[in-house]
This record gives sequence, C-alpha cells and structure tokens, in this order.
Amino acid sequence: MTEQTGANGAPPQGGIDPLAVPYRQREQSITLERMDRPDEPVYGTELEPETELFTVNMGPHHPATHGVLRLLLTLEGEVVRSCTPLIGYVHTGIEKSCEDQSYWKVIPFVERMDYLSYYFNAMAFCTAVERLLEEEVPPRAQYLRVIHLELNRIASHLFWLGTSALDLGAISFLWYCLRERDKVLDLFEMSSGQRMHPRYFQVGGVIEDIPPGWERKVREFIAYLPSRLDEYEAILDRNEIVLRRLKGVAIVDRETVKGLGVTGPLLRAAGEPWDLRKAMPYSSYDHFDFKIPVGTVGDHYDRYRVRMAEMRESLKIVEQALDGLPEGPYITQNRKVALPPRHELATSMEALIHHFKLVTEGFRVPPSETYAAIEAPRGELGCFVVADGSAKPARVHMRDPSFVNLQLLPHMAQGSLVADLIASIAMLDPILGGIDR
Amino acid sequence: MSYPWSEDVITVERGPEPGGVGGAYRVLGETLRGLKTVFKQALSKPVTIEYPEEKTPVYPRFRGRHKLHRFEDTGLEKCVGCSLCAAACPAGCIRVVAAENTPDHQVSAGERYAAVYEINLTRCIFCGYCEIACPFDAITMGVDYELADYTRSDLIFTKEMLLADPIDKTPLRAEGE
Repeated sequence: MTEQTGANGAPPQGGIDPLAVPYRQREQSITLERMDRPDEPVYGTELEPETELFTVNMGPHHPATHGVLRLLLTLEGEVVRSCTPLIGYVHTGIEKSCEDQSYWKVIPFVERMDYLSYYFNAMAFCTAVERLLEEEVPPRAQYLRVIHLELNRIASHLFWLGTSALDLGAISFLWYCLRERDKVLDLFEMSSGQRMHPRYFQVGGVIEDIPPGWERKVREFIAYLPSRLDEYEAILDRNEIVLRRLKGVAIVDRETVKGLGVTGPLLRAAGEPWDLRKAMPYSSYDHFDFKIPVGTVGDHYDRYRVRMAEMRESLKIVEQALDGLPEGPYITQNRKVALPPRHELATSMEALIHHFKLVTEGFRVPPSETYAAIEAPRGELGCFVVADGSAKPARVHMRDPSFVNLQLLPHMAQGSLVADLIASIAMLDPILGGIDR
Repeated sequence: MSYPWSEDVITVERGPEPGGVGGAYRVLGETLRGLKTVFKQALSKPVTIEYPEEKTPVYPRFRGRHKLHRFEDTGLEKCVGCSLCAAACPAGCIRVVAAENTPDHQVSAGERYAAVYEINLTRCIFCGYCEIACPFDAITMGVDYELADYTRSDLIFTKEMLLADPIDKTPLRAEGE
C-alpha cells in the first residue's frame, strides 16, 4: 500500500510513454484526471473534495471481486478517483493448450474458460469448426442445443442474481438462487452426465440424445421458475435499500458503452437492443418468438431488470423449443466428422475404422479461418479458429465478453463510492476464468 | 437507431424512485413484505441433503470414477490394451502398457492385455472420452464421486483398483434411461 499526495508525491506522468515505464512502476503510477477538476462536487455525495489521494489494492483475493480480479484504486476518502483492473491471476493457457489437441478434444478445454456458461463456450467453438467444415447440424441437434443454452443462461443469471444480491447485503438471496440453479444443474446432469463442463456439444450436433423423462422434468422446471422469479422480484424490486443502491448509480451512456465494445445485458441496459440471437440468428434461433429487454437510463437498476427479464424470455424459448422439438438424428451422419453409433462397432468394419480414425487422429479441417459469435449470458462470445489442414487447430482464440466488458468498470467506478464500486462489479458480472483464459 | 426487429424490443420497467414519501413507506411496508417472503422459507421443507450421512443420488448418465470390466462368464478382462482411451484422453492421464497373452497366462479375451493400466485421477477431467473411445466397453465411467484422499500418489488408480467393486455404493436416481 503506497500513499500518494497530489502536491508533493509522484508527479503525473505527462509526456511519458506509459509502455516505456517498467511494469511495476506502471502499476503504481495512476492517471489523476479527476484532479484537474478539484472543485467539482463528488457525484452522489456531500463530501468536500479532498486533495489527499490514497492508492490501495483491492483484491486479488477479495470476496467481492467475483474471482481473482485485482483493482488498483486511487481513493479520495471514500470516493474512487481512478480504478485500474489488473488481470492475469487465473491465466491457464487454455488457448495455447487447444493448439496441441485434436478438434474434438478441444471442447472440454474451452468449456472451462467461462466456467458459468460452459455450454456457450462449447457452442462457439463447435459453430466455428462446423463453419470451417461446412457441416450441417441436424434440426434436432440445433433445438437440443438451444434448450441447453437457454437453461445455461438461466443458471448463469441465477448465479449472478445470488452473488449480486449478496454484494448488496442480502445474504439469504444467494441460497434461494443456488437452490434454483441446482435444479438446472440436475437437468444437465441427467442429460449430459455432468453438472458443469458436460462436453455435451460436439462438432456436428450433440453427443447423445436426451434421456426419456428429461423433457417432462424441463417442463416442470419451466412451470416452477416463474413463481420463484416473482418471489425474488417481490423482495427486490421495490425494496428501498435496493432502489437506493441501484437506481441512478453508475450511469454510463449508450455511446460510451457501444464505443468500448461492451455487449450483452450491459449494452441492452444502456438502451441498445443488440442481441446476436436476433441480429444474426444461429442454431434455429429465428424459429422462436422472444423479446429483447432493453433499459432506458443505463444504471444498475436497468442492468438488474434486463437480466431478470432475460430469464423469463429464456424460459419462453426453452418451452417453444420443447414444443417444436423435431425428430431425427441428434448428430450429423457424416462419418468423417461424427463418431459412428455405438451398436455399429460390433457389426460394421467400416464403422470400426471410422471410430479408430476419429479417436486417434481426429478429423482434418481444410486450411481456412473463421470467426463465429454467439450471444452468451455476458455478451458476444466469439471463437476464432485457424485451421492449417491438420487434425489440430493452429489457433483457437476466444473473444470473451467478460474481458471486453471489464473495460466498462473504470467508467462505472470513477467518482463513485467504494460501496458502489462493489455494486458495479456485481452488475458487471465478470467471470475471471473467461477474462484470463 | 432502428433495427429490423424493433417490434421485438421491450423496455423494462423503472420502478419507483427512491426517497420521498414513497420511500418512507417502502422502508417499512416493502421491507415487511420482503420479510414475509423470507420468513415463509422457514416453513418450507429444506432442500439440502445431509451429505456425509446421506449420499446425494446421481443420474444414470453421471460420470464419476472409472471402472474396468471383466466378462461375467469367463472372468477374463475386457481390456485388450489397445490404448485408444489413452489416445482419446484430453488430459493425458491414462497410461497403458500392453503385453501378450500366453496360453498358460490368459488375462484378457484378446491377443494382448493391459499389463499396466493407470489413471491419474488428479489429472482426470471426467469428460468420459475414454468411455466413448473404448471399442470393447472395457472402461466405463462409474457413478462414484467420493474421491478425496490424503496423498496424490493414492489417486493414481491401478488396474486392480479400477477392476474392484467400490466399497460404498452410490445411490442412483430412478429417472432417466
């Protein structure tokens, strides 16, 4: 912890190339833009502007940072003057590891990036590879994917709601939300065998059909969740503490949000109705009727409301997908890409050869590159895959929404109180596994 | 800006503004209403499972600790040491060393058998690709999930450990399959 004073401390680094400064020094030197306007009243407070600044580290091990996010804060009393997110504490090198695996083995890897939206990670990668192979996904597989994606979106938003309410001081909320999320995870366990990181999506479709009885359980969940959401809204929507913590706090205007490349609920809360499910429909999303909730002001309250509304829209999509679930194969019939069915191994020599070939070497992808983007719970999740003609990708890059959205945090935090910074992190909903990859 | 799908856009409600007379009411009224919901939970049945005493049941598709299988009639091992599981493993946690069967030392049904079969469960990510890869159904993902141990070396499961039945049976849910 270092103490800095505006008058006799380290001078602002005017004219110095920040990249020429060694890393440790760069961490310590804070841009003091706000100090140009010392007489300006501090937003939302009656505090007198002070001149003494205080640089403090928040995190990386801080319960409110939703992972190992380190924030370098310059505080003036209780007011945040500058906020620099420092990342890299859970860097796992997944993107590099992917280059050493055949395509189907990459799927369990990429799922572990953004660990709350695992189906989305797999979906982005599979869509990209399917585009490279020009492989058609059967309609049943597309619908099954949509069902799982939207259930995953609900699970992710429920976790966001629980942890955000916890950050605002409502502890029991976390247990309520985890209770509901557990029901979604049970559904995942039943259909894909694992509660998290289920590697259910494969290139060309899904690995298994849904088990009997699963559809009934999903329908039970669809009927059950809205009453719970009503309950949550009854607690939160009009609660005076919540209103004061959320309303009018950290307003960032639409153009700034757009200019930073922020996507997802944060962009929609700022009033921009941008949703890739509508803008560039993938995986049969154009078959379903759903709405895009947008905010009007762009404060925390809008962000909260947009996500709550999105959960209800997701339920609608799941219901429509179950109603219209087509019959047919759940994975492509192209034996050069998808594994042959299990029962053929005992009878067909050709199937056995395909099986051995796919398991040991994997399928080859012609040299090309593509970018596939989908709408993840936190925004645009893109996957850039470069193929060099071999059975292993030459490069897998993920455009993770959390990483881009984190740029918004300094804009939200500047001039706000430390307590509002906690709310800002909660409403930003960053997943550090996705940010660092 | 207008999007072609602008009829599908709904604006979320803003709710009341904080403060004022309404705020004074909400401090009491809405807090009590929220508390009503909270206290209602005390009357509902707990959803938690008393874990160590009562094991969480799993679905049939659940992928837990691996199992190696024998033929029920002959007692021979199904694994022929082809190493497909090791080739399919993304984490690289399976080690197979194959050896030849001889007439007086017949271990598996095929020509070869796995002399060494080790799975490093500290590395395993339970993706189940080994199960998919195996053409003989020799390795399957079991349902056991209690895998904690005191040393890392104890978590390298050998062939004998994988062939043996688990000591505690994990309860299975009736639904599905």
